[in-house]
Formats: sequence, C-alpha cells, structure tokens
Amino acid sequence: MIVDETVLSLGISLLALFFAGLLATKVNQSLTAVFIVVGMILQNFFPVTIITEFIATLGIIFMLFIFGLEFSVGNLFNNQRKIFYTGIYDLLFNFPVGLFLGWVLGYDLIRSLLLGGIIYVTSSVIVAKSIIDLKRSANPETEYILNILVFEDMFIAVFLSFIVGILNYGHIDTRGTINVMMKTLAFFLFFVILARTSKKFIDKIIDIEHTELFVILILSIIVVSAGAAFKIGLSEAIGAFLAGLLLSETKQRHRISETIKPFQQFSTAIFFVVFGMSIDYKHMANLIPVGIFIFVISSFSKVLGGYFIGNRYSLSKKASLRLGFSLIPRGEFSIILAGTIAMNSRLPYPLKSLTGVYVLLSAILGSIIMKESDWFIKWFIERREKETKQISEHSAAGLSE
Amino acid sequence: MSEIKECDLPGIGKKFSLELDSGDKLVVVIHSSGEREVFKFTRDSDEPSSVTKLTDEEARQVGAILSGAYFQPVIEDEPKLTMKNVTMEWIKIVPDSMLANKKIEELDIRKATGVSVTTIIRGETVIPNPCSGEVIKPQDTLIIIGNNEQIKNFMSTFEIKQRLEK
Repeated sequence: MIVDETVLSLGISLLALFFAGLLATKVNQSLTAVFIVVGMILQNFFPVTIITEFIATLGIIFMLFIFGLEFSVGNLFNNQRKIFYTGIYDLLFNFPVGLFLGWVLGYDLIRSLLLGGIIYVTSSVIVAKSIIDLKRSANPETEYILNILVFEDMFIAVFLSFIVGILNYGHIDTRGTINVMMKTLAFFLFFVILARTSKKFIDKIIDIEHTELFVILILSIIVVSAGAAFKIGLSEAIGAFLAGLLLSETKQRHRISETIKPFQQFSTAIFFVVFGMSIDYKHMANLIPVGIFIFVISSFSKVLGGYFIGNRYSLSKKASLRLGFSLIPRGEFSIILAGTIAMNSRLPYPLKSLTGVYVLLSAILGSIIMKESDWFIKWFIERREKETKQISEHSAAGLSE
Repeated sequence: MSEIKECDLPGIGKKFSLELDSGDKLVVVIHSSGEREVFKFTRDSDEPSSVTKLTDEEARQVGAILSGAYFQPVIEDEPKLTMKNVTMEWIKIVPDSMLANKKIEELDIRKATGVSVTTIIRGETVIPNPCSGEVIKPQDTLIIIGNNEQIKNFMSTFEIKQRLEK
C-alpha cells in the first residue's frame, strides 16, 4: 500500500523538480535552493514515507562518494601547504562565529557545534559554477577560493562523522570525544592504508567489462563502507566518502563516476525535496529574523576572512575583497549536516527549519552578491583611496602652516 | 623563453599562465570537460580584458596554427630563398663505386664536376671539410654541395645511382 502511493508521489515530485529546475537554470539560480522550495510546497500534498527517506539517505551517501571520487589526493599532497593554511584561516574566521551565535541563541554545546559547521561551509557547487559562469576561472583569487572549498568539504566530511559519533554516544564529554575521535581516525587509517598498499589489487578487482556486474560491484563497495561506518557508530557519509577516495586513484575512475552519477543526481534531488518537506511552515515565519541575523553576521565573517587571506598572500585589494564575497553562498553541505542529524531518529537535534531558511537566503542572495559585488568593491576602494589622499593632503596642509 | 606557471583548480580543471614580453599575461584554463578558456590580463590588472572560449577540437586547431604546424609563416621561407640554386646531396658509397678507396685529390672532384665534398660520414664518425688526402671508403656517406648543373655532372661522371633522401 505504502509502496503504491509512494510511486505516484515520487513521480509527481520528480516532475515538479524538473519544471522548477528548468526555471532555475533560466534565471541562473542554484538547483539546491529550488529543490528545497519544491519540497516545502509538496509537503502539503503528501507525506514523507519510509521509502523516500531511504532514497534521501542514499542521496547523502552517493553525494559524499562522488565527492571523494572527484577529490584529488595528488592535488592535496602537491598543494598541501597552501590548502592547509588558507583552509585554517577560513576555519578560524568562521567556525567560532557559529559557535558564538549558538551561544547567543541559547543552544547547548552540541547544537552550537552543529550551527558552527552549518554556517562555516561554503557551497562548492554554487561557487564553482558561479566562477565559471562569471568567467573568473583565471582570476588570481580563484585558486585560493577553490583551495578553501576543498579544505572545507574535507573538514565537514570528518566533522559530520565526528558529530554523529558524539550524538550516538549520547552526550559530549572527554571520554566520548576521545572515543569517537579514535574511531574516526582508525576508520580513516584503514582506508588510507588500503589505498596505499593495495592499489594494484583494487585495480584488478574492479576491472570488469560486464556493465551490469560493474555497477553492482561499485554500488556494493559504496554501500558496504557506508554501512560499516554506521555500524561502528560513525556517519554513513564518511564511509561513502572514504570509499570514493579509495577508488579515486584507480584507472576506472571516470567510468565509476559516469556509472554512479545518475544514481547520485536522482537520489540527491530527492534528499533535498525530503529536506524541504520536513521544514515546518508555521515555524518558519518566526525563524526568518533569526535567519537574516545569522546570514548577515556569517557573510560578514566570510568577507573579512577572505579579505585577510587575500592580503596574506599579497593579492590586490580588489581581488582580496572578491575572494571574500565569493565565499558567501552556503548550500549542499549545510543541508547535509542538518539533514543527516535530523534523519536519525535517535538524535534529538533538529535545527532543520533554521538551516532551511539560512541556506535559502545565502544560496540565493549569495550568488547574487557574488555577481553584483563588483560595484561595491570599486566604490569601497575608491573611497579608501580618497580618504588616504585627504589624510595626506591634510597632514601636508598641517605641515605648511 | 618565459616560464609557464601551472596550477590546479580543483573542481574546474588546470590553469597555465604565461608572462608575455609585453608585460601582459596570458592564461589558459583547461576545464575537466575538455573546454579551454583563454584569458588575457593587461599589465597589473587582476581582471581579464578578454576571454575566449574554445571547444576541445577548436583548441587543437588553434594550437596547431600557433605552433606553426598548420601554416609556415614567411619568415621561415627566407633561408630557403638564398639557397635557391644550391643543393646539398647525400651520397652513399657502394663497394663497387668508382669513388671507393680513392683519395679526393686523386679523383679531382672539384675540377671535374664543380662539386665540393663538405663532409664524410663514416659510421659513427663525421669528418667535416675533409682534406684532399682523405680516402673515401665503401659504406661512407658523402655530403656534397653544388648547383643543380654541377650535381648532375657529378652523378654522371662517377656513375652514381644511389642517392640518399634526407
């Protein structure tokens, strides 16, 4: 019974997604935001079932897998210092802001940590797309932006695993933290060592010409690692991410990506819809002022952090400001953080509606700001130059008197 | 030659930037999709003054043109013009050749044909400007120089059939 109804509602959801998505690409808006809005509307027509929820879970798993697969470990080792330092600055500028805001809003420690993660992570999808659309890929600030995004995504994958571990443990204390950290570390090490030592072996195993068997094998690798991570009390997402990382060094990488992408695109879209469907309308009106408040503060910290990083690496003022303004849009990873936590019924920390409001604001406004910030940057720099000129004229006048 | 700087753009592709003699900067971004973008930055600017998007195929064509493989510019033709009437020829000496085991002065090559022997290649060794006492051996390769008339004369005088293509 439940299956029959789900099939039709799934079909309707997909149809709605298609038309909304078509509209979004016409006006150059991010699909993430639009999919969430579609979910918010659809919640009036049918409920989230266990099946759609399951597809949504797969959506997170596949998304993290693809992220791990496309993540270049070689690039990480080649540019590790640059990625590490820019990433750390960005982290220090933005993560504490979330913690602080959580404290201001009267949250407990775990919820504040979660908020920290949600407002810290910039959307790589939206930003990378905007950079290409705005023809900024050759600009001096772009490589710094992209390095920051790599660091953030990596950090959030680990952070997610950590916070799910803590929540499964029950409460936050020294023993629990150490316990979860050790588990995460052990899981990581297992995959890294596997990737380092048995590269040829893995290459051999997955070298299967039969298309159907190939799909099944790759899916099984993904789901088994996700399930194993869940079994030891971490998040499924980190298992999938590491499986992606493991397969990213193989010769079949492109084939794997092509095979899994359709699954990922479908299930991730459903994940965003399910997320939208579980946002509470009535709740939302109250949350808008808070959302705007968080958006303004966290945008400010991103711009400030970006400007600092630009200066640190001696980019021009203009490029540094552009670097900061390009980090405002939040998107998929914030939703994944909030969504993963909310999906686990044992975890009593929603934060969902607020994240929904916040991501909608920053995804839509953020990409507009990225595009339109040029005049502001120009005005800002001209004003600064005028001021310094006036000051120097002033002091010159003072001297001649 | 100026240095080409290479840089990864994770999620987008790879960036190559080239500082030009004029002070401008040329940046090529190769997207993971295969698309290329060529940016020009004028001196000290951090915004591109022009952007050109190329598909994979277009980029290869333009690349061939730029490297000169597609069309040779006029500059390259000039050295050939000065050599118009002069030909160099590679001659392999067969064992029963009239030239084999004889000294160059004995054969009186220049007087008889007008051709000069500029180089003898003997296995691994190369003898440039051989003196008149040098003995030509079988399996040698001679490099001779002369105008077309003189070369023809040389070929018929010494009954040479085996020429080497360069």
